[in-house]
Amino acid sequence: MFSDLDPILHSQLRLSIVSILMTVEETSFSFIKDTTKAAAGNVSIQINKLQEAGYITVKKTFKNNYPNTTVSLTEKGRNAFEEYVKNLQKYIHPQK
Amino acid sequence: MDEKNFTPEESLLIISKTIEETRKKIQENGHIIILWGSLIFTVILSQYILELLGLHKKFDIAWTCILFLPGAIYTFFYTWRKSRKNNIPKTILGTIVGAMGWLFGLNGFVLAAIFGDHIGNALAPVLLILLAITTIVIGLSIKFKPLIIGGIVLNLLAIGTFLVNPAYHGFSLMFGAMIGLIIPGILLNIAKKRGNV
Repeated sequence: MFSDLDPILHSQLRLSIVSILMTVEETSFSFIKDTTKAAAGNVSIQINKLQEAGYITVKKTFKNNYPNTTVSLTEKGRNAFEEYVKNLQKYIHPQK
Repeated sequence: MDEKNFTPEESLLIISKTIEETRKKIQENGHIIILWGSLIFTVILSQYILELLGLHKKFDIAWTCILFLPGAIYTFFYTWRKSRKNNIPKTILGTIVGAMGWLFGLNGFVLAAIFGDHIGNALAPVLLILLAITTIVIGLSIKFKPLIIGGIVLNLLAIGTFLVNPAYHGFSLMFGAMIGLIIPGILLNIAKKRGNV
């Protein structure tokens, strides 16, 4: 139905994750989970998919002896998001 | 959130809602701005009182350090703890706002405490110019009009202070702290509570 829309981004949770990362430089897994209000397992799966597509980078470190996952958007991810929004506008305002 | 096939309108709604939610979580509050406005006001006012008591020369720098140093330590731990506790992500905006605040604080302190004699009567106007630049940049960064307006008034006040008798420069600094920091800080807190920033 929406063939021009990037299938990687055209998923509610993945789109939310990338939208968060468009607003911040980098953020933690728990911030994404809190903001999207999604289950940790689901967030983890979608982060893996975005990482496999090269849209985000994931850094796993330790903070105060606890695992800390930091996520940030890549240039490819930023371009894909901008392209996705452009295509969305074409669907919403086809005359432009 | 499920993976159903959703419309472009729903996509745009998800994007705008998520960005809005993220912005709300990373907003600055006016707490630190009010703190520093009050510290500057208190230090200058107390220096006038010390001068009236004839103790000004003896306690000038010491008194400034007594108030500003704990202020700097508190600011450091408050921002560090807040970002850790609330899991605040790193943003370019946050970096700019933090850097502007610290750069003003350190340069202002060095000018006042170390090079006060070199700079002489220009100290208060120069401090006000530095404060005006800091306030305007922070105001523009967080898109908060009272801080931008406060900064512009501070800049005009700084230029006007060059024309005022140096004995009254302290009043310019107190007035500057009030209109450039304390009032915009209070308004920022009110706006944050109402969700208008």
